[in-house]
Amino acid sequence: MLFLMSRNPEEPVYNRIEEARVALGLSRQDLADKAGVHYQTIGYLEREEYSPSLVLALRIAKSLNKEVSELFSLTPLKKGK
Amino acid sequence: MSKKNKIYWFEGVTEKGVKSLLTDENSKYRWLRSQRNRRILVVLMALGTALVAAGSYWPTLKTNLDLSDGTSVVIYSVTAIFAIFAVLLGYLFLRISVRGIADAPDELLDERQIKIRDTSFRYAYYGFGYIVLVLLLLMNIGPEVKLFQPEGNDGSYLIISMMFLCAALPSMILAWRERDI
Repeated sequence: MLFLMSRNPEEPVYNRIEEARVALGLSRQDLADKAGVHYQTIGYLEREEYSPSLVLALRIAKSLNKEVSELFSLTPLKKGK
Repeated sequence: MSKKNKIYWFEGVTEKGVKSLLTDENSKYRWLRSQRNRRILVVLMALGTALVAAGSYWPTLKTNLDLSDGTSVVIYSVTAIFAIFAVLLGYLFLRISVRGIADAPDELLDERQIKIRDTSFRYAYYGFGYIVLVLLLLMNIGPEVKLFQPEGNDGSYLIISMMFLCAALPSMILAWRERDI
């Protein structure tokens, strides 16, 4: 059946959003407001269940005072590095 | 923010309506956010829609069950009212459960929500297409195999159920596929 198909077949994008957000003392809602998305989207991103567009990645990086390359990677990231 | 409640005629929603669903203002419906409960709702919606469609076969069923006229009128009326009410209520809950994303315009959603909505509509298009195709095939071969259009049956319930399905299918698919939201 079509609706039983994989939810996200695209290549995963690994990230350190949660780590950076917590370091700044921001809630998901705070970051969502800064990045202009719904707070659940932040949850999806942090769980690496959704790969953001370049525009959203740039907005999130700006909101967290980081470079995109510090936050996102195509290979698994070591947390806390 | 504009106080005017913008109406999106094409999508059949209002700005306030969608924004209300997107926030947690409806906290009393939090139980609808779990995937398990949403899937139960989807199954009930599908059963309700099938029950409405079955109204088109009532004369055949009545004959087969050998019901008296009085009994059949009561069963028919109660079932019809219950089924239509259940489907309408189910649709309302379904929209709350998926935060109305399936019906919302682009400007009220973020990129992830737009992507989910578009995928749901694509699957709904396929699904509805298959269902209509099967119905058309049954209509075509119906007179020969007596599966469809038996004498005296009213096809309007089938059309009503198709209308329900047309409106609800994107939300049903979204509700089925999404995790807890």
